[in-house]
Amino acid sequence: MKKLLAQPAGGQRVSVCLLAVALVLYPLVFSDAFYRDVGVTFLLAAISASAWNIVGGYAGQVSVGHSMFFGLGAYTPLLFYTLWGWPPLAGIPVGILLSVGLAVIIGLPTFRLSGHYFSMATIAVAELIRIFVGTWALVGGAIGLQGPAMARGWWDLTFRGDLPYYYIFLAVLALVLAVTFALERRRFGYYLRAIKSSERAARSLGVPVRRVKLQALALSAAFTSAAGSLYGVKTGFIDPDSGFGILVSVQMVIFAALGGAGTLFGPLLGALILVPLQTAANTWFGGGGSGLTFVLYGGIIVLIARFEPGGLFDLWRRLAPHLRRRAHAA
Amino acid sequence: MVLIQVIVGGLLLGAIYALFSSGLTLIWGMMNFINFAHGEFVMLGMYVALLVVVWLGGGPAAFGLAAAIALFALGVAVYALLIRHVVRGPMLAQILSSFGLALLLRYTAFWIFSANFVSLPQNSLAGTVAIGGIYLPVAQVVAGLVAVTLTIALHLLLTRSTLGSRLLAVAEDRTAAMLMGIRPDRMQALTWGLSAGAAGIAGALLATAYPWSPSVGETFGLLAFVTVALGGFGSVLGSLYAGLIIGLIEAISAYWLGAIYKDIVVYGLFVALLWLRPQGLMGKA
Amino acid sequence: MLLEARNVSKAFGDFRAVAGADLAVEAGEIVGLIGPNGAGKSTFFNCLAGDTLPTTGRILFDGADLTRAAPEAHARAGIGRTFQVPTTFDDMSVLANVMVGAFLRHPHRNDAREHARRIVELTGLRGDQPARSLGTPGRKRLEIARVLASGPRLLLLDESLAGLTPSELQEAIALVRRIHQMGITIVIVEHIMEVIMTLTKRVLVFNQGRVIASGTPEQVVRDDAVIEAYLGRGARRQRQ
Repeated sequence: MKKLLAQPAGGQRVSVCLLAVALVLYPLVFSDAFYRDVGVTFLLAAISASAWNIVGGYAGQVSVGHSMFFGLGAYTPLLFYTLWGWPPLAGIPVGILLSVGLAVIIGLPTFRLSGHYFSMATIAVAELIRIFVGTWALVGGAIGLQGPAMARGWWDLTFRGDLPYYYIFLAVLALVLAVTFALERRRFGYYLRAIKSSERAARSLGVPVRRVKLQALALSAAFTSAAGSLYGVKTGFIDPDSGFGILVSVQMVIFAALGGAGTLFGPLLGALILVPLQTAANTWFGGGGSGLTFVLYGGIIVLIARFEPGGLFDLWRRLAPHLRRRAHAA
Repeated sequence: MVLIQVIVGGLLLGAIYALFSSGLTLIWGMMNFINFAHGEFVMLGMYVALLVVVWLGGGPAAFGLAAAIALFALGVAVYALLIRHVVRGPMLAQILSSFGLALLLRYTAFWIFSANFVSLPQNSLAGTVAIGGIYLPVAQVVAGLVAVTLTIALHLLLTRSTLGSRLLAVAEDRTAAMLMGIRPDRMQALTWGLSAGAAGIAGALLATAYPWSPSVGETFGLLAFVTVALGGFGSVLGSLYAGLIIGLIEAISAYWLGAIYKDIVVYGLFVALLWLRPQGLMGKA
Repeated sequence: MLLEARNVSKAFGDFRAVAGADLAVEAGEIVGLIGPNGAGKSTFFNCLAGDTLPTTGRILFDGADLTRAAPEAHARAGIGRTFQVPTTFDDMSVLANVMVGAFLRHPHRNDAREHARRIVELTGLRGDQPARSLGTPGRKRLEIARVLASGPRLLLLDESLAGLTPSELQEAIALVRRIHQMGITIVIVEHIMEVIMTLTKRVLVFNQGRVIASGTPEQVVRDDAVIEAYLGRGARRQRQ
């Protein structure tokens, strides 16, 4: 362990490989339905939070209404099935397209103003869509939509048991992280971080700030929509609250912020900590626990904002040199 | 006739929107900060009123004052413990801080008070009054009029008093204000106190006339955003006009389209404003 | 004529920060811009860099009209600037900061990194240091390195040499000279007379939003209008 800590790059690669192996083996080792369900929930949370991270963590444009993309992604597959009997799979790309379109519509006017306008717009639009969908009978109104009860083929994405879902979700998570990693190393990633740090300085160096922000938001929206689609086909059910509710948005933000917004694995770490905690709280406190859960969420977010906006990864980065020194000295 | 009643009712409610929105706009104008927890301040004001009535049997003056003082103190505390430390930091921390606070306050209220709707027990403002052929609850009329008075008073405080000019000086140029012997920190704490206090009183006023639950914080928060967006970020007078307009639009939408759709109209207006005229009617961009 | 500003004004409501300023800079010059605080120099710079939209006037760079262009367009055209209050990307390393500048002309990461490394070496910084660990002098130097990496033809330095110790100041002056020798035109706002006297051949004096005097450094410091601007009416002459 001391050797691992002593070599930052080496240690990181080993940890990532270990993590990957652990994630692949997890549902095989813990084959009980309960544990697999937690695993699937964790993966979904990690995907959503990592998607949010692209625009909220890296670019620093804090969306607190990302549920609008999640909900669009969750509704379209089930809508295609309910209206025309089409396989939910067909709805997934449509959800992504709609979300990207929505992202551009929101970003265009608000990105030329200060960051607060964007945040406010995201809350308002998400709420607007939630209420609107709740009144629109075509998309299920307040009751919502359901997916296929029995699978007619693999394209219905209606599997019995969690195992297929687990590996599909894992693949998507790997994709999100791979894309984020690739962008991090290229010009786009540098521009994102520059914008987060100081838009004014970035502009003075020729960074096309508005365009980069739009691209980040569009990409984030696309992945969030995909996460929503996965949620929709797995649960087989969606309604305005589970799709567009504010809690969906909050969870993405808190998972990313706790682990470390703007870091590659921060959202994963946040999900790794909070999903089991939330599951445990629900088990111990039953239904009443969920009220307390969000008191806790609120408290955690405030503490992160006040003391450690960079999340746990930032905390680790600050403490690690001290630990490394102790490892060498020992 | 019914339409007139709807219009007057809308304006009266809009006056209260104006009052609490002026608190939000004050913070924005002063320190370029959006308080996502502002709606929760209103909600807490309502519960303070309830507690005063239930525990102490106080009348409107008592619970109004109590809400004002309690929320003023909360506003100052929030500034001193949280806002002061994040306001010059990264945007993420700023937005998360007030957003997290909103969640904390909202769900603590859910936990303590449950999600049931409550209203104030009968008090001296019960009954209806007939004005020129229309009938309005006394509470609504009194609440609306008090709200308008207080909003105008706040505007005058800011523009005509020494304290007000000190607050504006800090908003304009912190460093220059310091050189003039003004303490920016104190002024900003005071602003937060005033902002929360305005929200608290507005809550108490609302409590006299309308039932509520902890969920109203979110609604009022968004309403405050819309009002401030329309009236202009930083302008109390703008909030007054905008609040009345929003109250009016809301009432007419509910009357013509139904209660559910009024939210869509109001939020849709907000989005349209952000797109077309972010500086609002009277604000600085 | 590389840069030409004609009758540029900027009003904030009733207050005219810049009131009809003219500037003409030939390629290869180093021009100084001095004036008391609040004279409008930084606002003028912001207009030249595209950060602020001038109320009236025109700004021409190498023949192209950039008056209403965004800051990004100014940078792409070849105007670079530093900020009076250093605005480095504190969450990134020194090298990463400079790479952001380098990416303007070198879109591929490896090219940008190579170019940035050379600039970092040229300016005497250390690439792997986090930007936030630098003090103000280091940050000012980083800003210069960063904007240099973006390949400007004209560099607007806004008090980039302020607050340095005497030896740091000499190093900084030498750096500016090296940059000038690379063929980059420079306009420098500075309060430190030594910088103005040793680096610039031509100086413009700003006061109350307009140019009140111009000439060689020696001419300008003896100009009555200039002394009055700095020290008020009836002040005694300052000795150099």
